[in-house]
Amino acid sequence: MKRRAILAFTLDHPGVLNKISMLIRKKMYNVDTLTVCRARIPGVSRMTITLRESDQARVDQVVRQLEKFTEVISVKELDTDHSYWREVAIIKLEIDASVLETFQGRYNFEILEQKSDDIHILQVAGSTRRIDAFLDEVGQEHIVEIARTGVTAMEK
Amino acid sequence: MNGKQLLLKALKERKVRFLFGYTGGAIMPVFDEMERMGAFEFVMARHEQGAAFMAQGLSRASLSTPTPQIGVCLTTSGPGAMNLVTGVADAHMDSVPMLAITGQVATGVIATDAFQESDVVGVMMPICKQTYMPLAAEDVEKTVHEACYVATTGRGGPVIIDLPKDIQNQQAGEDYRFDAKKFRPHLPGYFYTPTPEREPIRQAIELINKSERPLIFCGHGVINSNAGDLLQRFIEKTNIPVASTFHGLSAIPADHPQHLGMMGMHGTVEANRAIMEADLLIALGMRFDDRVTGKLDEYARNAAVIHVEIDASEIDKNVRTTVAINADVYRTLHVLLGDPMLTCIPRRRWWDKLNSFREVMKEDLREEIEVGIGNDNKLLMKGIIHRLSEVTRGRDLIIPDVGQHQMMCARFYNYQTNNSWFGSGGAGTMGCSLPMAIGVKLARPKERVWSISGDGGFQMNFQELGTIMEKQIDVKIIILNNGYLGMVRQWQTFFFDGCFAGTPMQSPDFGLISQAYGIPYRKVELLEDVVPALEEAIACKGAMVLEFICDPAEVILPMIPAGGGFGDMIIRHPHAPKKDQSKQGEAA
Ligand SMILES: Cc1ncc(C[n+]2csc(CCOP(=O)(O)OP(=O)(O)O)c2C)c(N)n1
Ligand SMILES: [Mg+2]
Repeated sequence: MKRRAILAFTLDHPGVLNKISMLIRKKMYNVDTLTVCRARIPGVSRMTITLRESDQARVDQVVRQLEKFTEVISVKELDTDHSYWREVAIIKLEIDASVLETFQGRYNFEILEQKSDDIHILQVAGSTRRIDAFLDEVGQEHIVEIARTGVTAMEK
Repeated sequence: MNGKQLLLKALKERKVRFLFGYTGGAIMPVFDEMERMGAFEFVMARHEQGAAFMAQGLSRASLSTPTPQIGVCLTTSGPGAMNLVTGVADAHMDSVPMLAITGQVATGVIATDAFQESDVVGVMMPICKQTYMPLAAEDVEKTVHEACYVATTGRGGPVIIDLPKDIQNQQAGEDYRFDAKKFRPHLPGYFYTPTPEREPIRQAIELINKSERPLIFCGHGVINSNAGDLLQRFIEKTNIPVASTFHGLSAIPADHPQHLGMMGMHGTVEANRAIMEADLLIALGMRFDDRVTGKLDEYARNAAVIHVEIDASEIDKNVRTTVAINADVYRTLHVLLGDPMLTCIPRRRWWDKLNSFREVMKEDLREEIEVGIGNDNKLLMKGIIHRLSEVTRGRDLIIPDVGQHQMMCARFYNYQTNNSWFGSGGAGTMGCSLPMAIGVKLARPKERVWSISGDGGFQMNFQELGTIMEKQIDVKIIILNNGYLGMVRQWQTFFFDGCFAGTPMQSPDFGLISQAYGIPYRKVELLEDVVPALEEAIACKGAMVLEFICDPAEVILPMIPAGGGFGDMIIRHPHAPKKDQSKQGEAA
């Protein structure tokens, strides 16, 4: 199933998120990630939804039906070639500082806190794939806790 | 002024005359103010669902008059609002503008499970066009204006205003000002584009001119944009045949020589065969519902599609379009008619073919209608509807309920009056007819109105006889009583080996019920009494109930089984066919 990102600008009203998620449920998708933030224009929210669908016509349908909501100002699908998809992860690791150092340079992370010799809290930003690769390389056994924002995206 | 006064003032400014509803704790302040103002005609339904269908009837019937009105219903919170749900969902499916105002518990106790609190906005959100909950008296007026604007523009639909009780009583601030004439709702995300663009029009004309077997679909959008006359001019100018959707009926005269009748599951052979053979479909204001298309991958495989539709999200939803015109049907037809590039081609071979399709069932149907009786000498619904059509010369307003009788009304009444057919299509809500007919009569008091129900559907909302009695509403009521939930029985006959599970039904004495409401009644069992009874109802001043005892074995044909393609069309009664058990699930 192809991963899709849909970018929507909506009025910052109560119930809009509810409407949008209800439509996606009605269309029988499971939302992969959903991020919301304020847009540059006051009173407008910016939403990035990712879900999985191979059929382009069905994605177009979702976009059209989202557009139909009175509170939705504009919607478009962003494809990976012409847009940046990024997320942030906060990770608590049990790992020796010396080992962690070996990743420095190859992955772009910031150590937020070193709680003890081997407990670190760090922040990694990048594409989903990049963060997955980092986690793989670190090894699941070192991960104590992880929080990821989900994807936010912007056209090139 | 306070919230309730601002609410009613705004409704007045919107030219609302009728309020359909039912009172209760959370809406009492509004009712009180309404009574004191004396500016509205209040129509008390006997159940909130009735109020919703009355409002639909008013909206739908009045849209073709010089004074279109939006149907408004007014109910209390909790159970009152929840009783509206079916009527609102029905209006949403059928794109009917309507405003539902529900009282809500006071803002101080919202979300505490207060007495008669329901999350109306949450429940209604997926089944209506928009929901509002004004939280200050100053917001009430502009909310009503915006709600009416949203309900009636673009593709119409129901809109909800959930108004907390304390806001009804709240005073607007000293310096509150509002000018309805200058008000423009701020809706940066609400678009509809009534005017067609030049390029798709050019492409459409090119397709039309080179098509050998074109076919026009007359959908609900033709009725909703009042484009019946234009459509008739368009088909006459281009000599193209036309088939109607369920909701497109009555936009042009049913017996127009170019009209092939209704399409879809119970559509005519000629309409459905034409779709199979066409090389171009020109769909006007419709949404290719599954009852229209049947199996999608077999649908109109050889045809290019021009889709004219005001709701952009319907374009390419079920059927791929060749040319999309996201615009109002009236304006599109207007532009097309004015274009000198549009040609008229006789297309004799196409018409010969269509005329041969017309012959397939013609004799069988003519004979059934003439004989008029089936098993045990019981009446056939199609015979009754045909005779009603003759007696009224096809000019009256017809409000069917849902079931076999509904399809008989769609097929055998010869609609002559524009916008004279009001049914529940997308939702297929049994019980819609009687209350909807009340709304229709209030919108078009000079025309004759027939509510036609089955024995099943009539019993779903017959409490509205109370409203008819109280308001002396002149609705002619027909019950086609076949002792069964007939449409389901028909499916059982065809696809469930004739096992009649949950479809036989005992009914009360409809004569005594009519009498209880003071409404004249006649029961008809013989063919020779059909026309005199219809004439009696016509002569009767005010409402009358006619009950016809009908043959439960009658079926409405043709029929395309659900999920089947047009090639699966059933044309003759299979006489209780033996079907493979394993296929039963599929067929249903
Ligand atoms: C509220 C509701 N419940 C159930 C149905 C399913 N249904 C569709 S037609 C039908 C039978 C209608 O029977 P009746 O009103 O007697 O009309 P007939 O088909 O016999 O003419 C039923 C049960 C429905 N459409 N609406
Ligand atoms: Mg029946």
